Amino acid sequence: MKEKFEVFIKKYGFSYLVVIIFLISNIYLNSLAPRIIGNTFDALEVDGFNKDTILYYLGMLILVSIIGFITRFIWRYLIMGNSRKLECYLREELFKHLQTLPVEFYQERKTGDLLAYGINDISAVRMTFGPGLANITNSIGMSIIVVLSMSQAIHPKLTLYSLVPVPVIIYLMIKIGSLIRRRFTIVQENFAAISDRVQENISGIRVIKAYVQEKEEVEKFQILNDNMRESNIKMVRASSLLTPMMELCFGFSFMISLLYGSSLVKSNIISLGDFIAFNGYLTMIIRPIRSIGRVINISQRGMASYKRLDNIFKVKSDIVHNTGDPNLIDIHGDIEFRDLTFKYKNAEEPVLKNINLKIERGKTLGIIGDTGSGKTTLVDILLRLYNVDEGMVFIDGRDINDYSLSVLRENIGYVPQDNFLFSASIKDSINFSRDIYSDEEIEEATKLSLIYDNIVNFTHGFDTIVGERGVNLSGGQKQRLSIARAIIKQPNILIFDDALSAVDTKTEDKILDHFKEIMNGNTGIIIAHRISSIKDADEIAVMNHGQIIEKGNHEELLERRGHYFKIFKDQYKEEAEKVENEKS
Amino acid sequence: MKNHSIVRLIKLISPYKVLVLITAVLVLLANAAEIVKPIILKVVIDDFLIGNNPESGLYSIKAMSILYMLVIFLNSLFTYAQANIMNYVGQGIVNDLRKKLFSHIQHLPLSYLQKYSTGRLITRATNDAEAVNEMFTDVFVSLFKDIVLIIGIVFVMFQLDTNLALIGLVAVPFIALVTYFFRKTIRENFQVVKSLIGQINGFLAENISGMKLVQVFNRELEKQREFEELNDKYNEATIFQIKLSSVLRPIIEILQNITIAILIWYSMDSILDYSLELGVVYAFTNYIKQFFAPINDLAESYNTIQSATVSADRIFELLDEEEVLEDLDTGMEVEGFKGSIEFKNVWFAYNDEDWILKDISFRINPGETAAFVGATGAGKTTIINLITRFYESQKGEILIDGINIKEYKLHDLRKNVAVVLQDVFLFSGDIKSNIRLNSHISDEEIEKVIDLSYSRDLINELPKGIDEPVRERGSTFSTGQRQLLSFARAIAHHPSILVLDEATANIDTKTELLIQKSIDSISKDRTTLIIAHRLSTIRQADTIIFLDKGKIMEVGNHDELIENGSYYKELYEAQ
Repeated sequence: MKEKFEVFIKKYGFSYLVVIIFLISNIYLNSLAPRIIGNTFDALEVDGFNKDTILYYLGMLILVSIIGFITRFIWRYLIMGNSRKLECYLREELFKHLQTLPVEFYQERKTGDLLAYGINDISAVRMTFGPGLANITNSIGMSIIVVLSMSQAIHPKLTLYSLVPVPVIIYLMIKIGSLIRRRFTIVQENFAAISDRVQENISGIRVIKAYVQEKEEVEKFQILNDNMRESNIKMVRASSLLTPMMELCFGFSFMISLLYGSSLVKSNIISLGDFIAFNGYLTMIIRPIRSIGRVINISQRGMASYKRLDNIFKVKSDIVHNTGDPNLIDIHGDIEFRDLTFKYKNAEEPVLKNINLKIERGKTLGIIGDTGSGKTTLVDILLRLYNVDEGMVFIDGRDINDYSLSVLRENIGYVPQDNFLFSASIKDSINFSRDIYSDEEIEEATKLSLIYDNIVNFTHGFDTIVGERGVNLSGGQKQRLSIARAIIKQPNILIFDDALSAVDTKTEDKILDHFKEIMNGNTGIIIAHRISSIKDADEIAVMNHGQIIEKGNHEELLERRGHYFKIFKDQYKEEAEKVENEKS
Repeated sequence: MKNHSIVRLIKLISPYKVLVLITAVLVLLANAAEIVKPIILKVVIDDFLIGNNPESGLYSIKAMSILYMLVIFLNSLFTYAQANIMNYVGQGIVNDLRKKLFSHIQHLPLSYLQKYSTGRLITRATNDAEAVNEMFTDVFVSLFKDIVLIIGIVFVMFQLDTNLALIGLVAVPFIALVTYFFRKTIRENFQVVKSLIGQINGFLAENISGMKLVQVFNRELEKQREFEELNDKYNEATIFQIKLSSVLRPIIEILQNITIAILIWYSMDSILDYSLELGVVYAFTNYIKQFFAPINDLAESYNTIQSATVSADRIFELLDEEEVLEDLDTGMEVEGFKGSIEFKNVWFAYNDEDWILKDISFRINPGETAAFVGATGAGKTTIINLITRFYESQKGEILIDGINIKEYKLHDLRKNVAVVLQDVFLFSGDIKSNIRLNSHISDEEIEKVIDLSYSRDLINELPKGIDEPVRERGSTFSTGQRQLLSFARAIAHHPSILVLDEATANIDTKTELLIQKSIDSISKDRTTLIIAHRLSTIRQADTIIFLDKGKIMEVGNHDELIENGSYYKELYEAQ
C-alpha cells in the first residue's frame, strides 16, 4: 500500500506543489478581504472622506476576490481531481492484485466483503485525500495566516486573549473524535451486516419462496435494520456535538473580543476599523475550524479503510508469475507425477499422498473417486493453482515450476466443476474476452461440444447474453458451453473436471466421441463419478483419501474386483452380474 | 421525475409531523439567534464605540457581551437538539423505507429478481437508502434552515433600510441563473456516475466469483483491460463533476464581495451627508455575508440533493413495481392436499416466444411418484417452477386436487408443496437452522428427519452434529451432502407434495446410493415428482414422463416403456 502511494506521489507530486502555491496565494487573498473592508470603514469614518480612496478599496476587494476565485479553482480542482485519479489507480491496482491471489484466498473470503474493499474502502481513502485533504490544508493555512494578520496588523494581546478557547477546542475535538470513531465503527459493522443479509437472502430466495419464509425473513431483517438505526442515532448524538461545542468556545472568543476589543477602541489603542476587521477575522477562522470536525469524520474512516486495504495488499501469492525458463514456450503433453504429496497451507493432513502417475502425450487418463479424495486438487496442481515443491510434477520431462504460468495455462484446456459463466454474449463467453477466434472456429467448437443446436435456437443466437443477467441455461447447457470455451483453445492438454455430470448419458456419449476427435494426439484428463465417462480412457486411476488405490484400464480394473469394481457394481447392477457370471 | 421523488420523500415525513414541527421551531429559534448576533454588535459599535453613549446597567458593553454569549449558547443548544431530532426522524424514515424495500424484494417474482442483478438489489437496500438518509438528516434541515435564514435576513435588511436591502439582493438573479445552468448537467452526470459505480461493482463481483477461471484461462490482462476501461469512464465522469462543483461555489463567493462593494459604493454619498449611520452599513456587510453563507451551503448540499434524488428515483422505481408482487395471502385456504396434480395443455416461455414447454398435459394421482426424464434443456426443471408458481404459465391450466393452483392462497400452496432444487442453497448458520428455517421445529423432530432422509452418516461425521456451523452458501459441504440436508429440510416441513430435482453434478457413488435410499424413504405416502438424471432412481416410479424439447414424448411405467416405448428404452439401454 505504501509503495502504491509512493508511485502515485511520484507521478502527481508536482501537481501537489502547484496546489500548495495556489492554496497559499488563495488563502492570502482571502485574508486580505476583511482587512480591505476594515480599511474601507476606517476611511468611511473620516468626516468628508475621499470617494476615490473608497472606490480604490472596493476595486481591490473585487480584484482580490476574482484572483481568489481563480487560485481557488486551480487548487481545488487539482486536489479533488488527484483524489479521483488516486481512487481509480488504487482500484485498478487492487484488481490487479486480486488477480494474482491464489484460489485458497478466495475460499476464505466472502465476495461481499471483497467488494467492500473495491468500492467503500477505496472511496473512503479517496474522501480523505480529496475533500479531507482540501479541507484540512485550507483550514490550517487559513488559521495560520488569519492569526498572523490578526496579531500583526491589529493587536497581539487581543488576538492572544481571544484564542484562549482554542486548546479547549482541540481537546474536545480529540475526545469527541475518538467517540465518533468508535460509534462509527459500529455503524459500519451494522451496515455490513445488512449488506450480507440482503445478499444471502437474494441468493437463497428460491428456498425462502419455496418454504414461504418471506414474513419471517422480513422480521429477521428488521432486527438488523433496527440495530442500524440505533447505532446511527448514537453516532449522530456524538458527531452533532462537535459543532455546537466549538461554536460555544468561539462564543467565548467573541465575548472576549467584544469586551477587551471595545475597551481598546475606547482608549484609542486600536481603531474602529481594526475592531471590525478583527471580528471579521474571527468569523473567518470559525469556518475552517468548524470544517475540521468534518475532516475528523472523514479521515477516521479513511484511516480505517487504509488499514484494511493495506492488509489486502500485503497478502502475497506464493505462486510466482512469469518466472521460469524463457525457452520453454511449448507443451507437448507428457505429464508425470512423481511421488507427489501435497498439503493445503493451513491443513494438518495432506490431501494428496505419494501420487505416482505417468501420462504420455496423446493418452487419456480417467480419475474416479469419492468427494474429497483429491481429484480436483490434482488437476489444480497441474494448473499451478497451488504451488508444489520441485521434483514432484513434470511436463515433457521438465519440472512444472520451470514453466511460466502463461505458457502452462495457455496450453491447458480446462472445464471446471462449477459452470461459472460471465455475463456476456455466448460468443464472448467462448472466446473469453480474447477476440481472436473467427466465427467459424467458434461454431466448430460449439458443434463439438454439442451446444450448437441450442444456440441457434435462441432468438439472438451467438449474441444471446448468458450469466447472471442472461438467459436461463440448464446445468447441462452451461457445461457444454464451458466445454466449447476450453476446446476452442486447441490445447495440448485437456482437463474435464467432472464436466459431464449434468448432461444426460446420450449427450455424454456423443461428447466423448468428439473428445477422441479433439484429443487426437493430445493428452486428456477426465475426472468423473460415472464409470461411463471414463471407461474408454487409456488409464484409470481410482482415488481414495488422497491416494491412488488402483490403476489400470477399464478391463484390468474390473478383473481386479477391487474398489473400481464395487463402483461399477453400484452403477451397473445387471452388467456387473453378467461379468460375475462370465467369470464363474 | 425529480420533483416527483422529492415530493414523495417529503410525504414520508407525515408520521413524524410533531417532531418535524419541533425541529422547525428549533431551527427558527437558532436562526433568530443568528440574526440577533449582528444586532448586538451593531449596538456596541453604534451606541458605545461611535456614539459614546453612557453605559448603565444592562445597557452596557459588558451586558451586551454576556447577552452575546447567551445567544450563542442557546443557538448551540437549539442546533444540537434539532440535529438529533431530525436524525431520529431521518433514521426512522430510512428504517421504514429499508424494511419496505426488503419486504418488496421478498415478494418479487423470480422473473423480476433475475432482471435485477443481486448487486443492484443490495445497492437499493444499502447505499441508496443511505443516500436518502442524508437527504433527511443533512439536506432537509439545512434547506429549511437556510431558506428561513435567508428570508429572515432579507426581512431584517428591509426593516433597516429598503434601498440597501434591494442592493443586497442584486446578486440573486445571477445566482439563480448560474444554478439553473448547472442543475441539469450536474444531475445527468450524477446518473452516469451512479450507473458506472454499479457496473464496477458488478464487474468486481463477477470476477471475484470467477477468479479461478480467469487465472486458468490466463485472461488476467484482458480482464484488467476491461476493468480499466470501465474505471476510466467512471474517472472521467467524476472529474467532470469536480469541474462543475469547483466553479459553482467560488462564483458565489465572488458575487458576495461584489455585492458588498456595490453596497458601500452606493452608501458613500449618504454617509457623507450623514443621512446613513456607518453602523447600519457595517451591519449590512455582515448581513450580506450571512445571506451568502446559506446560499453557499445550498450550493454545497446541491451534490447531496442530486445524489439523493437519483437514489430516491431508483428506490421508488423498484417500489413502484407493485402490481407484479406475489400476493401470498389472498385466495383459497387449504390445510393440506390430497395430492393429485394435473397439467392441462400448458405452454411456457421464459422470454417472448422461446417456448420451453409446449402443450404439456399429464395427470398424477394422490400418493403416486412421477418421474420426468429427458435430455438437458427438455424443460424438466421448468415444470417444477410452474407447480409452485415461481413462474406463471402463459397458456393452459395446472390443477392440484382438481382446482387451478391460481385459486389457492399462494402461502398455502407453497407450504404444502416442498421443492428440493438441484442447486441446494444453505444459509450461513448451523445445520439445525438450515433444516428448521424460521419455523418452529423441535430438535427431536430434526433428529427424526435426519434419520428419515438418510443424513445420519453425514451428521455423525460432523464434530458438532446438528449444531455444526454452516459457512456462506454451505461451501464446506459437497453437492451430495447438501442435497441430503435439503431432503431433511423438505420433509421437516410436512409437505403433502414433494418435488425433487435430483442433483447429479459432483456426487460420488457412495452419496448417490444414500440419496436414492433417501428419495425412496421420503416419497413414501406422498405425491412425489422427481426430475431424474439417473434412471436407476426412478425404476419404481408409478409414472415416467419422457420429455424432449418441451414436449411429452411418452408416458408409462418402467416396464411399459421398456416394452413399448422407444425414447426411454433407447436412453435406458445407453446407460
